[in-house]
Amino acid sequence: MNGKKDQKILLIGGRSKAKAMALSLLEQGYQVITINKNYDDCLKLAEIKGLHVIHGDGTKPDSLEEAGAEDCDIAIALTSKDADNLVACQLCKKKYDIRKTVSLVGDPGKMEFFYHMGVDSVVCAVSAVTGIIQQQAFIDEMTSIIPVGKGLVQIIEVRIQEESPAAGKKLMEITLPKEGIVGCVLRGDSTLIPRGDTRILAGDTLVVITISGHELNIIQALTGR
Amino acid sequence: MKLFESKKKDTYTIIVGCGRLGANLANTISDEGENVLIMDENKYSFRRLSPNFGGLSIVGSGTDLDKLREAQIEKATAVIAVTNDDNANIMIAQIAREMFNVEHVIARLYDPECEIVYQELGINTICPAVLSAKEIDKLLAGFPAKEVLA
Repeated sequence: MNGKKDQKILLIGGRSKAKAMALSLLEQGYQVITINKNYDDCLKLAEIKGLHVIHGDGTKPDSLEEAGAEDCDIAIALTSKDADNLVACQLCKKKYDIRKTVSLVGDPGKMEFFYHMGVDSVVCAVSAVTGIIQQQAFIDEMTSIIPVGKGLVQIIEVRIQEESPAAGKKLMEITLPKEGIVGCVLRGDSTLIPRGDTRILAGDTLVVITISGHELNIIQALTGR
Repeated sequence: MKLFESKKKDTYTIIVGCGRLGANLANTISDEGENVLIMDENKYSFRRLSPNFGGLSIVGSGTDLDKLREAQIEKATAVIAVTNDDNANIMIAQIAREMFNVEHVIARLYDPECEIVYQELGINTICPAVLSAKEIDKLLAGFPAKEVLA
């Protein structure tokens, strides 16, 4: 907790995203500073208690200096323009030595380019949202998917029902595609790391690690859907 | 002369932003008989091109990778970013340099303060304010001191 209090997070741009993120970060005990170009947005943000609000352009050194960028630990660029986010992150990184920069990007095709240009973490709202919508549309609502490792690996939660082919079988009796592995079984309040002879029961939730793109095959092998 | 001309035609310049500067440049390059393509988000901007402009034009954002590929950026010998948005110009220049290895990359920047971002990438920049200041300074230096005081 003490460690967190020393951490300063800089939010650049963004309207509702900046507000929601500032509230959540402040609650977790971080120091939060926002820079926003739009004066009305600044007024909205200034209603949040404990938040430092700077009216200025986060892609310009003078505004970043005013916000004390050199003392910040993490910078998060949330503007709606990819170019602004990129320049803001590059300035934070190169001029102010901010340890970690995170950028929102609108165009999924630019994610790799942003990483190449030195942004530490790139989040694409479009691909994240389409991913979630697909997940909601095609998969049983009991399954949740978390992408890790730049989205190359997925951690999936799979609920086993009575009629699932995996129910009642030992793990070694289930033929799973080789791109995935069952890492954990959640049964009631207990958690077990499965071995080959662990029997999967209806009502279990399996935590499965898979290579991206193969998650549907694995879910199908376990649940029959 | 012929030999010189045919050599010139091997160049392919992409200009992003059809404002006064972009259109002027495109007209000049086209008049010289070189290959040129101009991009702008707004179709209406192309009115600034001269009637005998012999290059190509594409409607679209220069920060859009698909549009840049459509413009065959990988074949370009030069990319010139002259939109009215500094950050867009920086990003276009970086995309051209880092993703498509374009040889000559020039960006126009109204505000040269973000220098650190692009200086190590070998991107040439033009800053109108700095150029104008230098030029005015040069003109002033031309006046005899007495005349300035009077």
